[in-house]
Amino acid sequence: MNKIMYLEFERCIGCRACQAACRECGDHDAKERNFVEYVDFMESRQTYPMLCMQCKDPACARVCPANAIQITDDGVVLSAMEEKCIGCRNCTFGCPFGIPKFDFEENKMYKCDMCYDRSQHDIAPMCASVCPSEAIRFIDFDEMQALRRQRSQMNLVEGKKPTEQDKWQYVPEFFGVYTSDE
Amino acid sequence: MSKLERSFYSKVSMYSFFVVLILVLSIWIGTGQFTHIDLMLFGYLIASFVFAIGITIRMCSWALRPATHQVLKRSFANMKKKTHAKRNLISILRTAFENIFLQKFIFKRGIYRGITHWLIAWGCIGSFAITFGLVFGWMHFKLVDPHTYQIIVMDIPTLKMPAHGILAELIYNGLNITAMMVLIGVTMALIRRSKSQDVKVTQRVEFDLLPLYVLLAVTVTGLVLTLSYKFLGGFLHPQLSLIHQITVVMFLVYFPFGKLFHLPIRPLATAVPMDYQGQIQRDTRACKRCSTLYSDDDQIEDVKAILGVQSFDLQLADGTYLADYCPACRRRLRVMKQLNMENDKGNPYGPIQTMNDVQVPGFGRKRSESYYEEKRGDEND
Repeated sequence: MNKIMYLEFERCIGCRACQAACRECGDHDAKERNFVEYVDFMESRQTYPMLCMQCKDPACARVCPANAIQITDDGVVLSAMEEKCIGCRNCTFGCPFGIPKFDFEENKMYKCDMCYDRSQHDIAPMCASVCPSEAIRFIDFDEMQALRRQRSQMNLVEGKKPTEQDKWQYVPEFFGVYTSDE
Repeated sequence: MSKLERSFYSKVSMYSFFVVLILVLSIWIGTGQFTHIDLMLFGYLIASFVFAIGITIRMCSWALRPATHQVLKRSFANMKKKTHAKRNLISILRTAFENIFLQKFIFKRGIYRGITHWLIAWGCIGSFAITFGLVFGWMHFKLVDPHTYQIIVMDIPTLKMPAHGILAELIYNGLNITAMMVLIGVTMALIRRSKSQDVKVTQRVEFDLLPLYVLLAVTVTGLVLTLSYKFLGGFLHPQLSLIHQITVVMFLVYFPFGKLFHLPIRPLATAVPMDYQGQIQRDTRACKRCSTLYSDDDQIEDVKAILGVQSFDLQLADGTYLADYCPACRRRLRVMKQLNMENDKGNPYGPIQTMNDVQVPGFGRKRSESYYEEKRGDEND
């Protein structure tokens, strides 16, 4: 798998299509594993989509006393193995991003597995395939790098961060033009 | 203790040694100073020792993991506390009955799955009890008079029963009953695993299917053995019993290293109500930011300790840890950080602030000439 999940929070329009799609994914048992929430409801209606980061060294797996959270060869952090999980919820408290969900009744933890049946064949996960505003994208590594470069070019000037007072000073005249070999 | 430990190659080898020692001692007691050893079961005996050593090694390496170690440490500390006695007892009994005997949580995942697992689990545990009891010589039968059998447990004569009574028949056929349970369970599991598209997503042949095939081999060869001596007049019995022995040896040697190892770690589930849930499924700790109840003080302390031992630095600038916030607040914290929105945004009726990592193009202002002069000067140098 050489595809990247690329999120842009400010593109989210809060339609929750990703959550509906997540519920439809095989092995998700009609429960969504992603989140769409308001950033700050008192300030604006801006929502954001939230998925698992699929950490290289996941804190959730490290705090699991039953060693139930496994990582696939291609780096996807799976939900806790049902036969090992003892239902302590350590993973939900260890995760720095608040991703794992827990079902007390069935005694099992479930989290975003990037729709492993799809993404292992380089097919976009359910959420990315339905997002109408491209807030969630499943793209090639190179495409992701280009998007990242574009973003940083847009706001990075000489390693300084603009402040509220002088931010206009820092916006460059030209956008998206690579000028190193000028 | 540490002195004793140093005379062994490692802690694990010390524990393995003692496990073997205790088993040999129990054989010595059970068989009346080795007078009742059943040599037909010698192959099983060797495999059982390998099984015991394997389990010891796997349990030790599992308990060494920082997370497991922390939870075990708290559980043992709580067990010693006198003020905790009632809660401990309730937790242990509750987990043993609901979680281990009834396996309620699997029935909640589906009746079919519940029945499957219950049959396999109790079939296996029953078979284990009978097999180990006979192999290690912990129990054997004695003919008191031509019509009465007596069960001898650990060389102590216990129950007497008529040789053809119902109880006797049940005991003789114990392994057949448990084998039938396992056979039905394994067949149900294999049907589910081959039919359901959902489980195929993360199912692995060597991890999820192999144990089922091994169990199937053991039960089928065992039941064929019964079939042979009961209905076919002992047709091919020596060969069949050898095949059965081979499958059982394979099963025992495989057990500590595959999926079936989840059996000995299951009792840790007691730790959840004992350490982390004063009232079942009731949270007591409030989130630092939104005051929602989300966990238990002890548990958050443990999570922080486990993460600390493994060098996860999840402390924020204000000294709080990410684990101090409820999952929803943790998600929000991350997004606000990423969008550069952590700080107060000032007048809500003022102009919209765009300090969110994306600068809207088109508002650029040309810099003063001196700026470009300097830059050109640098290039010339």
